[in-house]
Order: sequence, then structure tokens, then C-alpha cells
Amino acid sequence: MNPHDHPHDHPHDHAPIESPADAAPSYYEVMETSIRELLVEKQLISPAEIRHQLEVLDSRTPALGAKIVARAWVDPEFRSRLLADGRLACEEFGITFYDDTKLIVLENTAKVHNLIVCTLCSCYPRPVLGLPPDWYKAKPYRARAVKEPRAVLKEFGTEIPEDVEIRVSDSTSMMRYLVLPRRPEGTENFTEEQLAALVTRDAMIGVITVNPVN
Amino acid sequence: MSSTEMLLKRLPNDIGGLPADRIVQTDHPLLPWEKRCHALADVLDFHKIINAEEKRRGVAALGSELMGKLTYYERWAAAFANILFEKGILHPEELALKMTEVERRRQMELAL
Repeated sequence: MNPHDHPHDHPHDHAPIESPADAAPSYYEVMETSIRELLVEKQLISPAEIRHQLEVLDSRTPALGAKIVARAWVDPEFRSRLLADGRLACEEFGITFYDDTKLIVLENTAKVHNLIVCTLCSCYPRPVLGLPPDWYKAKPYRARAVKEPRAVLKEFGTEIPEDVEIRVSDSTSMMRYLVLPRRPEGTENFTEEQLAALVTRDAMIGVITVNPVN
Repeated sequence: MSSTEMLLKRLPNDIGGLPADRIVQTDHPLLPWEKRCHALADVLDFHKIINAEEKRRGVAALGSELMGKLTYYERWAAAFANILFEKGILHPEELALKMTEVERRRQMELAL
């Protein structure tokens, strides 16, 4: 039986399988197009704004976050500025934010490992990482990260030593977090670009660490 | 604690700390309409027509059955419609007429 066929009294937050792009538009796709066109007709929004925002969405990828992390690893003064005010430091890179969202950068150390989540919905440091992966928006991660972070990390293949504290930060629409992972050993001679190439999206969410270089 | 007391204290999206399944590392590239839906949400927020918090509440107001059955961006589209009706910016009838028009147009494009 399809698990979605039974009525439930609990929210399932994982998306059903998406329909292929070349099929006839779904009811909700038609609804989105219709809302957008009506608002354009009423001159409340413009097609140019939508186009521009699509370009902005495409421009935001975890590569931006990786650049920030690599710079923080090589430049102690930048690192201090980043930890003091994440948004201001990212704006030095020309990264644009929306409304008055705060970005708080959480530094992993030998004693603390950080993990970010949004238990209520899907708040995420979009200006520096782009859009969140589906699992970040789904119930298992949102429900369990705040309760049993070590078990959650294990499911990502990450084992954090018992003497390291795990801190979970729950995001809101006004307060987003980014994890500054630990610089792996063996990278002393790496260029900033080579360092950035090691930093992945999942390491900046905190579900994995940046792997040491062999 | 009685079951209704629990329901009262926890809105459907308030799931932090609840028991849940193992994590499956799912992801998919956004479909074009999903990306447009996201761009629309951002533009609505810039213009203070629907802000992020109103959108979140609009999704919660769909109720747990719909929330469980719709995909992420389907929930957003449905929430936008309801919020715009509530604010008197759109009327249900004009949306219905527009949807019929858009659907016809898309069917004609597909037939070409």
C-alpha cells in the first residue's frame, strides 16, 4: 500500500514523487502561473522582477559558502569579522541578502561541533548555499536533529567523539546559520581555491565534516 | 497528556523533537515551475504582499492532510491563493477563470 493512501493526523513532510517536466502542467503549476499573471495584470509585480529573481536563485550555490569558508581558514581577520557579523562579512564578497535576515556563523572547534536545522519549516542560509536539499525540509531531519543529533549524524556517516559537544541551532525566518567547518589537517600548503574545493554543502550544514586530505 | 491537548500545543509544522523515521538523503533539481514559484515567493516578500511568516502560516493553515499530500511548492501555491483571497487582492472567481485560460493555452502549446 502506498503510505500516502491512508488518512493521517500527522504531518508528512516528504514530497511525493515529482511529475516529469514534459507532462501536461499540474493543477498547482497552473495555479502558480495564474496567480503570477493576475498580479502582473494588476501591476503589483512585474515579469522583469520574476526573471531577475530566477537569475538570483541560479546564482546562489554552495560554491559561495565554500569561498567564504576557505577565506576564513586563510585570513584570521576575515574569520573574526565573519564570526562577529556573518552578513556583513559575506557582503564583502558581493553576496546579496534579502530583507533584514541575520546570518550567524557557527565555528566548529576541537570541542564543539555545530549542526543547523529548521524544525518549523525550511529556513536555510540561502544567500550563501542556495536552496536546501529535500531531506533538510523533510520530517525525519527536522524532527530528530534537535533530539538525537548523534544518531542523525551517524546516518550521514559522521561520528563525533563523545567528548565533543554537539550544538544544534534551530533557524528562523530572521535568523539563519552557517557552519564554519574545521580546516582538515594536511592542507597547510593548499591555496584558497584548493581549500574551497574541499568544502561541501553538507559540511556547512554540519551533517558531515570536511574530510582530511590523504 | 490527552491527545487533543497534544494537538493544541503542537501545530502541524511544529515537529522538532518528535519521533520520526530514518533520514533518507533525498534531493531533486527544482522543476521549472517550482523555481518560478520560489521566485514568485521572493518577489511577493519584497513587495510586502506576502512575507515569509505569512507564507509559513498559510501553509500550516492548509491542515495536516493537505500538507501531507502536497509537494513542497504545491503547498506554497495553494497558500498564496488562500492568502491573496484573504487579503482581498485576488477573488476566487478571477483565479478560477485565469486557471481555465492558462490550462487551455498550455494544452494548445502541447498540441503544437
